[in-house]
Amino acid sequence: MAEHVSTRVNSARLPQYVGRTVRLACKVLKLQGETALVEASDGGQVHVRLTRDANVTDTYIEVIGSVLDESTIKMMACINMGSHLNMQLVNDTIELVHDPRFMGRIF
Amino acid sequence: MEAELSRGIITRLFHAQDGDDDLYTSQPTVQFLSVRKVDAPSHATVDRYRLIISDGEYFMQAMLATQLNAMADEGEIKKNTVVVIERMTRNLVQGKQLVIVMGVRVVAQCDEKLGNALNIQPPKGEKSEGVSPAPVAPPAPAARAPASSGTKNAYAPPQSRQEQAPPKQQGAKTNSIYFIEGLSPYQNNWTIKARVTQKSDIKTWSNTRGEGKLFSVTLMDESGEIRGTGFNAVVDELYEKLQEGKVYFISKARVNLAKKKFSNVANDYELTLEKNTEVTECLDTTNVPAVKYNFVEFPNLGELVKDSACDVIGIAKEIGENTQITAKSTGRTMNKRDLTLVDRSGHSVRLTLWGVQAEQFHVDGDPPVIAFKGVKVGDFGGVSLSMYHSSTMALDPDIPEAHALRGWYDGVGANQSFQSLSNSTMSGGATGGFNRAEMRTLNDVKESQLGEGKQDYFSCRASIMHIKGETIAYPACPTEGCNKKVIDMNGSWRCEKCDKSFPRPEHRYMVSMAVADHTAQAWFQGFNDVGLAVFNMPANDLVEIKERDEAAFNVIMHKAICQTYNFSCRARQETFNDTTRVRYGINRILPMNYEEEGNILRDLLHSDWGRA
Repeated sequence: MAEHVSTRVNSARLPQYVGRTVRLACKVLKLQGETALVEASDGGQVHVRLTRDANVTDTYIEVIGSVLDESTIKMMACINMGSHLNMQLVNDTIELVHDPRFMGRIF
Repeated sequence: MEAELSRGIITRLFHAQDGDDDLYTSQPTVQFLSVRKVDAPSHATVDRYRLIISDGEYFMQAMLATQLNAMADEGEIKKNTVVVIERMTRNLVQGKQLVIVMGVRVVAQCDEKLGNALNIQPPKGEKSEGVSPAPVAPPAPAARAPASSGTKNAYAPPQSRQEQAPPKQQGAKTNSIYFIEGLSPYQNNWTIKARVTQKSDIKTWSNTRGEGKLFSVTLMDESGEIRGTGFNAVVDELYEKLQEGKVYFISKARVNLAKKKFSNVANDYELTLEKNTEVTECLDTTNVPAVKYNFVEFPNLGELVKDSACDVIGIAKEIGENTQITAKSTGRTMNKRDLTLVDRSGHSVRLTLWGVQAEQFHVDGDPPVIAFKGVKVGDFGGVSLSMYHSSTMALDPDIPEAHALRGWYDGVGANQSFQSLSNSTMSGGATGGFNRAEMRTLNDVKESQLGEGKQDYFSCRASIMHIKGETIAYPACPTEGCNKKVIDMNGSWRCEKCDKSFPRPEHRYMVSMAVADHTAQAWFQGFNDVGLAVFNMPANDLVEIKERDEAAFNVIMHKAICQTYNFSCRARQETFNDTTRVRYGINRILPMNYEEEGNILRDLLHSDWGRA
């Protein structure tokens, strides 16, 4: 179980997870062949290296991938989330998950 | 917005001593958080404006000098205006520093509050004594003690009170002025000096003994309150003479035992105003307090006995519509309007206005501070408040609590979410509104034995586990409003109630389903609206699919389960033949809006409860 854990993050928390697998709920800003530029729930921009058969169709997606550096993720899978997503709520959830009171219990 | 407020000036002004005169010529820049006209006492001829001045760090009370009234009248000075105070001074009023703003230069009008000012004055205690000066306080408690202990042996105490009273009063009356507390049926040569705090309408009655009319007033002085009633001829004489808010010398009225049924004034006695009662208007009103309040903080309301009267003060955050309801007991229609009051405890409570007051209640602008006296505590839907005939309501009163509330609301309170003490929604628990504040778990519902004896209402969130597939709908009469089951009579469907037959009935859902949450499972019964929400198609369609294609029907049933909804339910005990069981009927079914629920959970985690 420990190997397949992917913590949900925003752009500010990426540095903490370099080399690890994360989930990033984000809004697609630019889609160019092999890479995409997305905006995370806290407004920060992240580069996503897409897989060959990536299926990015909606405005909001959740990318599961490994963190290469503090602004790049290498995608493993992505989930389309539709055209509306309350990013404020997503960000609040991410911050709450990382709250020391809860972090130990969830991950 | 380039204006820079002079930080620290409020702190210095508040703690200023004599001799800090250069403080008053320093020309600081401040922002007015609020500019409010004050109700002038009856002897003043000119309006006064009360201000809240802020330097971005703290705020405090101030008064606008009357020579600047025009600027406020004209709107040059208003909420959020930033000014340089060119001239100011300070007065010692009731032991407190009060800044008087005498010269001002407007820098800019602003749309919002600059900085995040806190109240420099700690909130006052809740017992307010209006404007009563300090020296009067000591004799009053002393006088009250003997009066409340035996009322029968009132001879000795009135004498001692009479000795205490003369030194205070400057009146040139032949009788010395009594305190209201000192009145008893054994004295008839007294005069009181009191303010009319409330006057009722003229009421007429007719019963077996005849007809009549009456009016009543509530009279108040520093020692207490007493009710006075005038009947028939006295109404004509005194009704116009006694005006609310004014002070009168009253003598030669009869002192009787109070009829508690008709009044909630705290006094064992009451006055009957008669033909020989003398009422003279008094112009020296300095010693008589305006209205004495004894405010109860909202969390403590629950401790008060039901139907008792209390005083409250709060901001009217929500003002309901004036609605008409029919009183079941009398059959008459009444006007009613609900207000939601909030106070600094973070709670909100519902208060109901009736009759003419409900109709005429109108407020422009920001939610006002309202002080209520003598409102009834009820337990309708949690804790609720209601106006009596004799209750009084004062909008934006000029008392310290009101200003403190105003400052708090303008600063913090407007955006705060409140915990409701009055639990039902505006439409009331009876109509089945979904009540988030009172949500229960199914286990809680079962353990509390809701519905046994009388019917109970509750709200909950649960997921559908199973729907009874045998009967999901019944054939109903298509006539608008009639949902009675129709009988199949050889191809034609007949409705007994409407006495009509139809070729095809309108099927209506009658769903019996097992729902569960993380604590327990229960069976809920729902009707057409529930079926529509769960299956997303009219009953006729589903019945047809069931008859035509069993497999498709099963698929639909399968899709309906494991969906989560918010329910508003009614629990009732019902008897079938021999068995008596509590059955849960669904009043409202609401599909989950995950975003909304997520927001609520997030707010809950961010609230004080979540941070503990």
